[in-house]
Amino acid sequence: MHLSIDKETLLKPLQMVSGAIERRHTLPILSNVLLDVQQDQLSLTGTDLEIEMVASVAVSQVHQQGRITVPARKLLDICRSLPDGCQIELTQVGEHFVISSGKAKFTLTTLPALDYPNLESWQGEVNLQLSRAELKRLLEETAFSMANQDVRYYLNGLLFEVDQQLVRTVATDGHRLAMSQLQLNEPVNAQQQLIIPRKGVLEMLRLLPDDDGSLSLSLGSNHIRLVDAAFSFSSKLIDGRFPDYRRVIPRNSTKQVTAHRPVLKDACTRASILSNEKYRGVRFNLAPSELQITANNPEHEQAEEVIEVEYQGDALEIGFNVSYVLDVLNSLNTDLVMLHLSDSNSSVLIEGVGNAQASYVVMPMRL
Amino acid sequence: MTQRKIIHIDLDCFFAAVEMRDNPKLGDQPIAVGGSVSSRGVIAACNYPARTFGVRSAMPTAQALKLCPHLLLVPGRMQAYKEASQQVMAILKRYSDIVEPLSLDEAYLDVTGSALCQGSATRIAEAIRHTIKTETGLTASAGVAPNKFLAKIASDERKPDGLFVICPHQVPDFVARLPVQKIPGIGPKTASRLQELGVHYCQDVFKVPLARLIRQFGAYSQTLLERCQGLDQRPVSAERVRKSVGVEQTYAQDKCSLQDCEAELPALLSTLQQRLERHRASSLVHKVAVKLKFHDFQQTTVEQQVQTADLASIRSLLVTAWQRGEGRPVRLIGLQAGLAEQDHKQLMLEL
Repeated sequence: MHLSIDKETLLKPLQMVSGAIERRHTLPILSNVLLDVQQDQLSLTGTDLEIEMVASVAVSQVHQQGRITVPARKLLDICRSLPDGCQIELTQVGEHFVISSGKAKFTLTTLPALDYPNLESWQGEVNLQLSRAELKRLLEETAFSMANQDVRYYLNGLLFEVDQQLVRTVATDGHRLAMSQLQLNEPVNAQQQLIIPRKGVLEMLRLLPDDDGSLSLSLGSNHIRLVDAAFSFSSKLIDGRFPDYRRVIPRNSTKQVTAHRPVLKDACTRASILSNEKYRGVRFNLAPSELQITANNPEHEQAEEVIEVEYQGDALEIGFNVSYVLDVLNSLNTDLVMLHLSDSNSSVLIEGVGNAQASYVVMPMRL
Repeated sequence: MTQRKIIHIDLDCFFAAVEMRDNPKLGDQPIAVGGSVSSRGVIAACNYPARTFGVRSAMPTAQALKLCPHLLLVPGRMQAYKEASQQVMAILKRYSDIVEPLSLDEAYLDVTGSALCQGSATRIAEAIRHTIKTETGLTASAGVAPNKFLAKIASDERKPDGLFVICPHQVPDFVARLPVQKIPGIGPKTASRLQELGVHYCQDVFKVPLARLIRQFGAYSQTLLERCQGLDQRPVSAERVRKSVGVEQTYAQDKCSLQDCEAELPALLSTLQQRLERHRASSLVHKVAVKLKFHDFQQTTVEQQVQTADLASIRSLLVTAWQRGEGRPVRLIGLQAGLAEQDHKQLMLEL
């Protein structure tokens, strides 16, 4: 393998695939990135056996084709620290790999490309075309509610559901639940539920650019793959049954409160300063036309704030982990939000007014 | 996280030991602290000579006297025990700022990073035992381990007046051979459910498929798996959170009908509520339990999740408990209120 490439062209795909590669791994080859030069294309592959990232880039000066694996982190650190705009020459010399640029020269160890593991080949059962922005929204609006290292392993990921005309994402950690959906222009004739593991979701969020370009998604029984112009990303799925989220969405709430989202958000942010650092509890006291928010900490300091809301009904006192409320208010983007409540032991449903794409359920805290 | 060093101190047959200390004439006779036969009392504590006769705490005094006719029965002096306990806790505080009392006669200490005794937790534990003996005349057993639950198990290994250390490198072997019911919190019920899954020792847990474990034990499976690996992240916390408040009454005459038992509930509930108020815990109640002890000393407990402790829920629990007795007369009725974690109880979605 022998090619010349400018720093920026190499750095972008290299950074992309590095996300999949663990720094230290029991299998040494998994710390390496696979470089594959065919005709005028360089593709880079990184994997941790759970997820796999492939990024490709066109190269004008290919002197010799070839396939080799080299330590990913070192390659990335070297390329990143070379001067901007420089040309980099990559050459395989026997069992070594030489990076040179100007008067700098680095020699890395290699491992054979043949030994590089790739995810088993599989067929997509359902294929979808989505815009990048739409997919990113579906993930962003829910990912923050995923569990992390929960013994209920199926919660350490995100439910991705395709149902004829709808794509829906759901995430829950047992305390709160986030759900987002997208109406498809062209219905798919299929119904499928799968759980994307946490790491896969976070990587997808990192990779997806913020534009309306189109990408395709393939859903298999054990894998999901996302194919974009510059990269493809695959992830294994969590083998488990996601709980039935429909059961926990309150349908018969007796109290409807409409609040100005920025006002509620700012009041919660301020109150959170004096909430217990560990439990983050705040108290909502609801009365006609007003909502009082209070927080106390173990030092007996107190925050108290009253905001105007649209509400006619009985008084209610209910406690929440303020971080959960703030996560929701930060994720919604409408001016007004509606809170559907019943009593101090029942969940609240929060939605944006005039935008039914995302819904959030938060369980209260007993204070 | 740095390797922690936790000591569990457990005073040996505490009430009985205080009595022996305060009354040297008792010598090595078998003695027990407890209620009299005429008041249908039970043994609260007994010394080791009494234990050789098979006398155990919570045993009816009448039965204890059958096993050991020359057993010397002394009535309890709660004030003296409290004073002795305070004295011991004060000693513990000299060795660490982080002392968590579990009851009058038990406490955890976190001595991580301590400069005392060249930082040796084992020697700190020995020093504590020595100081308790010289200053209070009582003996204590100690367990030293990298976490709370292992320290507690360790203190039981060399009782009485002994010390047992579980070093970090010994933890895997120690835990592998540890019977699951030794884990604090695993009672006979959980132990038998585990046995049905083929789990007798901690190492057996890992042979059970995770999904099966979760189905059986829900969120507790996490704790279970951690303990079985010898892990326990719980910090030693100086402010102890009360987990329950209870009241119970042994009756001079057995209650022979459900109606007779029901008639006692209002009085018991009122005492329970007073105690809840005293601990400012009324709003934290999330569980109530009714305990019945039958005339044959078999006992049963029925519990239920509730928002407040009220007569209606307690009565329905009593009915269930009574039915379990299949007509046996009742000698004791107990009520217990389980408390949610102080002030902050995050409710869960019903997934």
